[in-house]
Amino acid sequence: MIRAPLSTTSVLDESAAVVRATLSPWAALLLATSIPYRFMQIVFVDRLIELGSSASQYGDLLRTTADVTCGAFLLSLCGRAVYARACRLASESGAAPGREALRVPLTALAGYVFVASIAEAVTYLLFVTGLGIAFGAILSGLGIGTMELNTEPGIRGPLRRLARYGGSSRIVVALALVFFCAFIVALLNVATLVSAIFSLASTVGGWDAARWHVLLSIHNRRYVLTIIAGALLVIEPFWIAANVLLVRKSGAAETGDDLRVWFEELQRS
Amino acid sequence: MQCAKTLCQECATQWDGIWYCAACLSTRRSAPAAKSHIGGWIAVIAATLVILFFSTRFMVWTGVLLAGLR
Repeated sequence: MIRAPLSTTSVLDESAAVVRATLSPWAALLLATSIPYRFMQIVFVDRLIELGSSASQYGDLLRTTADVTCGAFLLSLCGRAVYARACRLASESGAAPGREALRVPLTALAGYVFVASIAEAVTYLLFVTGLGIAFGAILSGLGIGTMELNTEPGIRGPLRRLARYGGSSRIVVALALVFFCAFIVALLNVATLVSAIFSLASTVGGWDAARWHVLLSIHNRRYVLTIIAGALLVIEPFWIAANVLLVRKSGAAETGDDLRVWFEELQRS
Repeated sequence: MQCAKTLCQECATQWDGIWYCAACLSTRRSAPAAKSHIGGWIAVIAATLVILFFSTRFMVWTGVLLAGLR
């Protein structure tokens, strides 16, 4: 159901409702498939920090870690594809989707994996410039949003759709900025939640509070990396839902379907 | 309208940005079954594997570069 004209706020409003409808079990499935990927990213960064300037001498170790991370990335893409389909079904029916969400067409999945791989490569290639994460996130978001429009296998179709829906660049960039702020808020919330759990647990007898205080402090890089990964996991369902709705609403605005639905709603009221 | 017939909007259906009448739509719906997509499958799988291969290399290269700056 297209409830409001295409704008950043309407996309965010409707994505919140969609995430609520798809929370169980599809958001849980998304988290379960994303956790290995985020964990491997933590392992990779942790090893890099540990090795420091001698990292270039441990090429095999880093390449193996990167290969395993790539495998976990492919698993996370399957979870994202199922979740994006669940979001689309929920936005159409207004109810929680059933097992139909699992039936992701193979052509759609192949097109999405292709686009997401490009986004991943762009992220790492441009990482040192500081723009890699932004470009990668936008490409990846448009990729998941346009996933179900890939009805035929090929490399031109997904790229054409990326260019077409990337045209509404103002909203795409606005969404990326909103989600950057959401990431900071999620980071603070996750850190506060962990601290609160730690404080509550320290009241239990036999709890080695001093040891845990060292482990769960910002001076421990593994803890900081885990908090960052946790914040990314928290905002991921909202990011996927927002991009699915952005593409749906852009398509509806182009074809005039939004006006037709609006007119029907006016007639009913 | 692809077949240039004059139809009202209620009788036309849009598919991938183009308006079709019922006859054209049924032809289009049955067409993919006969068409082979083997080339498309090979292209998308090969391109994805190549990009993923270079993606892991970029990951290591960038990581080593940043770790060397510390």
